[in-house]
Amino acid sequence: MAAPDPASYLPLPQAQLQVLVALTEGDKHGYAIMQDVERSSGGTVRMGPASLYGTLKRLVEQGLAEERPQAGDPDDDQRRRYYGLTGLGTAVCEAEVGRLADLVRSARRNLRLRTT
Amino acid sequence: MGRRPTRRMYRALLHLYPRSFRDDYGDDLVALLDDLCAGAGTAAAWRRTAVDLLVTVPRYRMESVMSEHHSDTAVVVGLTLLVTGGVLGLLTGVPAGLVLLPLAAALAVVRRSALARSLRTTAGGRRHRRLVTAAVLGVVCLASAASYLVAVADPDVSGASLVLHNAVGVPTMVGALAFLVAGRLTPRTPATAR
Repeated sequence: MAAPDPASYLPLPQAQLQVLVALTEGDKHGYAIMQDVERSSGGTVRMGPASLYGTLKRLVEQGLAEERPQAGDPDDDQRRRYYGLTGLGTAVCEAEVGRLADLVRSARRNLRLRTT
Repeated sequence: MGRRPTRRMYRALLHLYPRSFRDDYGDDLVALLDDLCAGAGTAAAWRRTAVDLLVTVPRYRMESVMSEHHSDTAVVVGLTLLVTGGVLGLLTGVPAGLVLLPLAAALAVVRRSALARSLRTTAGGRRHRRLVTAAVLGVVCLASAASYLVAVADPDVSGASLVLHNAVGVPTMVGALAFLVAGRLTPRTPATAR
């Protein structure tokens, strides 16, 4: 069976992209993902518990993320579930970031043209 | 508010979500609220969670309704309404009502796989099927009873119309009651595992 084309998942909903970007740093549990999303968005994106786990559920269903065995910290609550990116998730994240970068480049060029 | 009342209250509120979501993530949601309370304070955590509930409960419920199982149920409900409207049309002599019965037949043919799935043994089994049948017959009976009341108030109503009303109303009432009793007496079957 052919590997799915990452471009077929684009454009990604913002919440999914935010979570995928948070997971690019490594496997994380829900609260860590929530904090990362808030930090990386400058406090503008503040997910609630159900929004976060609804997003994680969709990412797992699409094969972009998966549940992982708990990463190293023995002091951490053993009941926490950790999530990480799959290969496909990494590829989709890269494709979406590339798409947005092209968009930003195009917008900046056009805005510079308008002001000159 | 202490941790335990917070957990209990949130766990109760989680019943607003579809069962599958609650079963899969209920513990994680409660643990995350705990973390939020520890990090941001209980009031701030509940403010964020309240908004989250308002936004996500309707959305996740709608997504659950649009799932295959529930769209099969929607086909049964739609057919019931069309058949009821068609029968009412027959009883009251409204020509538009006669269009509804062929529409119901067309819907049943086009969505026959959905209809077959919804009538097949489900997690509730025979009990579920009998109660659904009772509900469908009950709706048709109520509609014909309402039509009958309108008809008898008309001094010019024909005897044939009243006979037709009784011919529809009595069997559907008897059938609804029979299926209701049978359904209630049928033991529940355990839900199938996901």
